[in-house]
Amino acid sequence: MMKPKLNMRAKHVLEGYFFISPWLIGFTTLFLIPLITSLIFSFSKFTELTEWKTQWAGIVNYTRAFALDVKFIPMFIIVIKDTLINTPFIVSFSLFIAILLNRDIKLRGFFRGLFFLPVLLGSGYVMQQLLGQNVNGQTIDLSRGIMAPEEIMTYLGANATNLVQEFLTRITLFLWKSGVQIVLFLAGLQGISKSLYESAYCDSASEWDMFWKITLPIISPVVLLNVVYTIIDSFSDSTNPVVDYIYQLAFKDFQFEYAAAISWIYFGFIFLLIILVFALIKPYSTMDEKEKNRR
Amino acid sequence: MLERVFRKHVFTKAVFKAVLYIMLVDITFVFIYPFIYMLVTSVKSVKDLNDITVIWIPSALEMKNYIVAVNTLSYLNYIKNSVIVTVLATFGHVAACSFTGYGFARFKFPGRNVLFTMVVFTMLIPVHVLIIPLYKQFSILGWINTYLPLIVPTFLGFGLRGGLFVFIFRQFYLGLPNELEKAAKIDGCGFLRTFISIILPISKSSILVTVILSVVWHWNEYFESNIYINNPLKLMLPAKLPYIYDFAKISSVELFALKQRMGEIEINIATAMAATFMVILPIFILYLILQKQFMEGIERTGIVE
Repeated sequence: MMKPKLNMRAKHVLEGYFFISPWLIGFTTLFLIPLITSLIFSFSKFTELTEWKTQWAGIVNYTRAFALDVKFIPMFIIVIKDTLINTPFIVSFSLFIAILLNRDIKLRGFFRGLFFLPVLLGSGYVMQQLLGQNVNGQTIDLSRGIMAPEEIMTYLGANATNLVQEFLTRITLFLWKSGVQIVLFLAGLQGISKSLYESAYCDSASEWDMFWKITLPIISPVVLLNVVYTIIDSFSDSTNPVVDYIYQLAFKDFQFEYAAAISWIYFGFIFLLIILVFALIKPYSTMDEKEKNRR
Repeated sequence: MLERVFRKHVFTKAVFKAVLYIMLVDITFVFIYPFIYMLVTSVKSVKDLNDITVIWIPSALEMKNYIVAVNTLSYLNYIKNSVIVTVLATFGHVAACSFTGYGFARFKFPGRNVLFTMVVFTMLIPVHVLIIPLYKQFSILGWINTYLPLIVPTFLGFGLRGGLFVFIFRQFYLGLPNELEKAAKIDGCGFLRTFISIILPISKSSILVTVILSVVWHWNEYFESNIYINNPLKLMLPAKLPYIYDFAKISSVELFALKQRMGEIEINIATAMAATFMVILPIFILYLILQKQFMEGIERTGIVE
């Protein structure tokens, strides 16, 4: 009686490994080995570039990034600052838009389809050009005049105009970067049962109360997901100066070891940030209970 | 009393609704503005471009811009490259990620949770950390200047955000009741056939989401393809755009000098916009066709549960 059962179990396990085997191969060859190689590169010096021969060099590349490189640290600080400022805005904007779209409105399909347009263009070259955003993060021509007519601007004088312009440009960029987040929030909102709102309505709760007491707690896992997504997205965006710098160093100047070191500093920071986000948001998120219920 | 409450309610509701629509239209405008700008500019003639009074309504439709754009892009040659890579890579993503996602959702094997944590981990690490060793590996294999570095990883569940797709499929299969599989097993259907002829056909919604996202991301991708492909003849369509924009942006003085040397050059910002439109046209059409199912698919996949 015992033996067939064991066989069944062993077979089940083998089938499981069979199904994940392609991914396992990919994980080893396209992730684990490159990750370790990259770490080794960051601590070495290339002796022969064409044959990928390296020599242990200690922390030379890291000290160079922090002590000698005048370009890297300011760039890095800009990216961190931008990400820390942008992420809360993008997440709350997309939540706001998703709630608007989830209401009973006319032409809902049209609006929904439209708000996904930014994802279609992705972070590709096309979008950069259309929004007039270049690698240094400066926004030019096109985003100007999107939200406020230029005629009003001229009344306000140069200083105020610049301020308002900067503000509106930022908002435009936030909206353009929130496509995926809107979709994820929408999917989360669809999952909330209508009866919850109805009973709250019967107890004369206001919309405002309903948002804080029903909507937000239930979609808190999506908030966490979106915060993480936004952070990763803004760090790997091709308009990001550090990303561009890594590319330049590695494939234009062929300083592979230094580029590897910089990318590790960069990645280390992202990783810390994400752990911090998890630690901050997780206590408020209901994700754990849901996962438990499922199993 | 009751009537007063009711009337007040109706009034606030109307105001609320008005504000709602105004906001929607305003946000819509932000999204649609660049597209309108692109379309309008793409049909402007040289005269309209230089005339600052012409902003939104060109004096004539200059369709010649599109012909110039298509010729400069060598559209038909390069769209072929883009289509080959996008189709194969998307197929790879669907095949490998549904397979792996199913494995993670349905089978209990030692190390499953650790490995699935690794799937999430792969999503967190930007490609820039791995790109140098990957380049080394692919160059040792002699894959540089071929499409293999862009296609092969997708068949192993990697490539552009492969982890995300594994995650999507796994979430979908977790939510799927396993009665069907049990029935199939009792009828003597093997595990592989169960997957191919029973599970795959009912995972249409996740497949659709994966297809759209994968197609769009591969079509727009140019960081990795720029690194792996140096041969100008093998470039993908979006990689051709920077050349046109560089041309369009040089000042009129430089352009004049260039014209002196190279004869008539017709590339200006209007042709650049026409070229841009031509590049995104295929995915735009695809999205128009699949848009409705896509939104439903995302809701049904339960990515966020």
